Amino acid sequence: MANKLLLCISASQATAARWRSGRLTDCTVFENSEAGVAEFRDYAATSGNTPAFVIVDAVEEDYRVETLPHATGSDRAQMVDRKLRQYYRGSPYAAASLIGRDSSKRRDDRFLFSALTNAEMVDPWLAVLTECGLPVGGVYLLPMVTAGLVEALGEKTGNVLLVAVQPVGIRLTFYRANAFRLSRLSRSDTAADARDRAVIDEISNTRLYLHALRAATLDEPVSVVLLDHADELGDTTRAIREDNPNLQCKYVDRAAIASLLKVDPELLALSPSVLYLQLLGARVPSNNLAPVKVTAGFQRYQMRRQLLVASAAVAVIGIVWSGYNIGEQYTLQSRTEDVARQTARVNAEYQKATQQFPTAPTTAENLRKATELADRLRSTEARPQGFLEVIMRALASSPDITLTELGWQYRPGEFETGAGAVGATGTATPAPAPGVVGSAGRRQSGLITGQVREFRGDFRRAIASINALAEDLRKDPAVEHVRVVQLPLNVSPKLALTGSTTDVRTQANTAEFKLLVVLKQST
Amino acid sequence: MNVADLRALRGPLLLLVLVLAAAGAAVYYSNMLREQAQAVLVQQQNQLREAQMRMQRSGDEKAIIVQYVDKYRELEKSGFIGDEQRINWLDALRNANERTDLFGINYEIGIQQPYPYAVEFNPGQIGLKQSVMKLSFRILHEGDLVRFFNALRAQNSGLFHLEQCVMRRTEDGGPLRYQPNIDAVCQLAWITATPEAPPGGRP
Repeated sequence: MANKLLLCISASQATAARWRSGRLTDCTVFENSEAGVAEFRDYAATSGNTPAFVIVDAVEEDYRVETLPHATGSDRAQMVDRKLRQYYRGSPYAAASLIGRDSSKRRDDRFLFSALTNAEMVDPWLAVLTECGLPVGGVYLLPMVTAGLVEALGEKTGNVLLVAVQPVGIRLTFYRANAFRLSRLSRSDTAADARDRAVIDEISNTRLYLHALRAATLDEPVSVVLLDHADELGDTTRAIREDNPNLQCKYVDRAAIASLLKVDPELLALSPSVLYLQLLGARVPSNNLAPVKVTAGFQRYQMRRQLLVASAAVAVIGIVWSGYNIGEQYTLQSRTEDVARQTARVNAEYQKATQQFPTAPTTAENLRKATELADRLRSTEARPQGFLEVIMRALASSPDITLTELGWQYRPGEFETGAGAVGATGTATPAPAPGVVGSAGRRQSGLITGQVREFRGDFRRAIASINALAEDLRKDPAVEHVRVVQLPLNVSPKLALTGSTTDVRTQANTAEFKLLVVLKQST
Repeated sequence: MNVADLRALRGPLLLLVLVLAAAGAAVYYSNMLREQAQAVLVQQQNQLREAQMRMQRSGDEKAIIVQYVDKYRELEKSGFIGDEQRINWLDALRNANERTDLFGINYEIGIQQPYPYAVEFNPGQIGLKQSVMKLSFRILHEGDLVRFFNALRAQNSGLFHLEQCVMRRTEDGGPLRYQPNIDAVCQLAWITATPEAPPGGRP
């Protein structure tokens, strides 16, 4: 529970106390005078930057219950602000709190407007707090804190009139269904000889006032609770009961108060304000009268605290999360070690088992794989016999053709037909780069170069013979396709053709041709 | 929030930033450690699984060794498995030349390289390599070419794939009956296999 500096200011005195660990300590009473304020300065100076909360017990107070059209957000704020300026133009200490919704059809909002109309009463004390660097959390009217006491008393009756004799008069506060409705501080004579009469009169006056305000009629039962912090009002209670036998009157003495609020009875004897400071320390009410400029320091204080709390929360989350991760890491490492031990054990068993195996130069898998690889390599080897047989079969029916060159390869692609071959006119497809080839589709292909015998310049016959050879090759079931690469005379209309009729004799034996033969892929 | 508020909150804000950074770093680092530990565990579990499977298959393994070890040793002896036996290849060339009555063979052997068609054979832990040999020789007719390579193959001095041959008829054939009139140039690939020792495997 956060530490607080609590201050209750009345016209005659101010009572200050420190709230630590849910208890009041260092209760001190100061006169409401310059000297008292100076003493309070010394008191406050030793409070560090503890936030201060102030309650005011003054005659110069005002309460109004108003209904406003239901609104939310900024609309409501503007409406309430307008009302506050209308009612309490001159007082900076004014506030409104929503106390419920009206039971009418419009369900208007019901607000309690309250104000301290004598700001000079609190200004010197607040100045001391500001001077000492204490953030002011709020300024409240005294009746605002006594709502918690009514709840603690547990009065069954709906109407409760709380009566307390204060240093400057008699404080009467009326609650209906545990909700604050009205409070007044009368400047009556509270001397011992006149106290009974004054209390009885003020109760009667208050009931009449309530009746006039239609807050409670005279016929309604009202439970009067007499708070006696000094154990001096026993006779007064009896006098009230004698004066008005119909009035239910409950007497709460110092011991009862101390028991009820869990406060030291000796502190209660010090000042009646101790009771209210205890209530303020336990629960800060919502009706803060102080303007923003007074509570700005407290806002910063709260934000600092929130940031510190956020830092602490982040640190805790980080620690917990990291701790979880590290814990998991150790668990995983432990499991890894277990698994490693199991692996070592299985490996040892395996090693033991393999000692029974025949001696082998490598693993069983390598033995099998290497042997199978050798078999597959042998079975997939391509030999040129098949290709030569295809060519010889075709040449058998073409006696006028003779071969001058024959190329064969077993590689991806076809035998290249350009110049610069490996010692020949045809060019073998270059071997692929290592690791590049997958199932690239190696196949047998070849280039046959030959010439037509007894040519004698008869291009027509020569070309017919070459085409017949190509056709014979195409008919072979092992051949996929045959392409005539070169003829003795290129008759393509896409190329220019030059020559001389006198060349016929000289070209008699040079009717050369080239055929590309590609065999079908073996499956 | 004004300047005064910011000035008053500078310390806690700085603290929050520092704590956020420290907590973030701690969480990140510890998370990384946890993930690393998880990865190591998975790796170790895989090793255990492999070891268990190997153990379960040890009976089959014995049968495989019995079935293949002799063939494997023959392949080793022939030079297919292990380092290249180039001297054996040259001896085999010489013998094949003699047996087929050819007129001498010129050869060129290239540097050893990975076998480019290895993927077709899915060799697994076996590394396949090749050395390309270019042969130039003269023959009487096409049948000599076939006979020569059959003879070379029969030497059992390794495993080769004939990749390409070009035969060209020469015009300098004289009157002698057994005078070569065909120039032949061939390329073949001597293929060798090198088994890799699996980790944790049996030597």
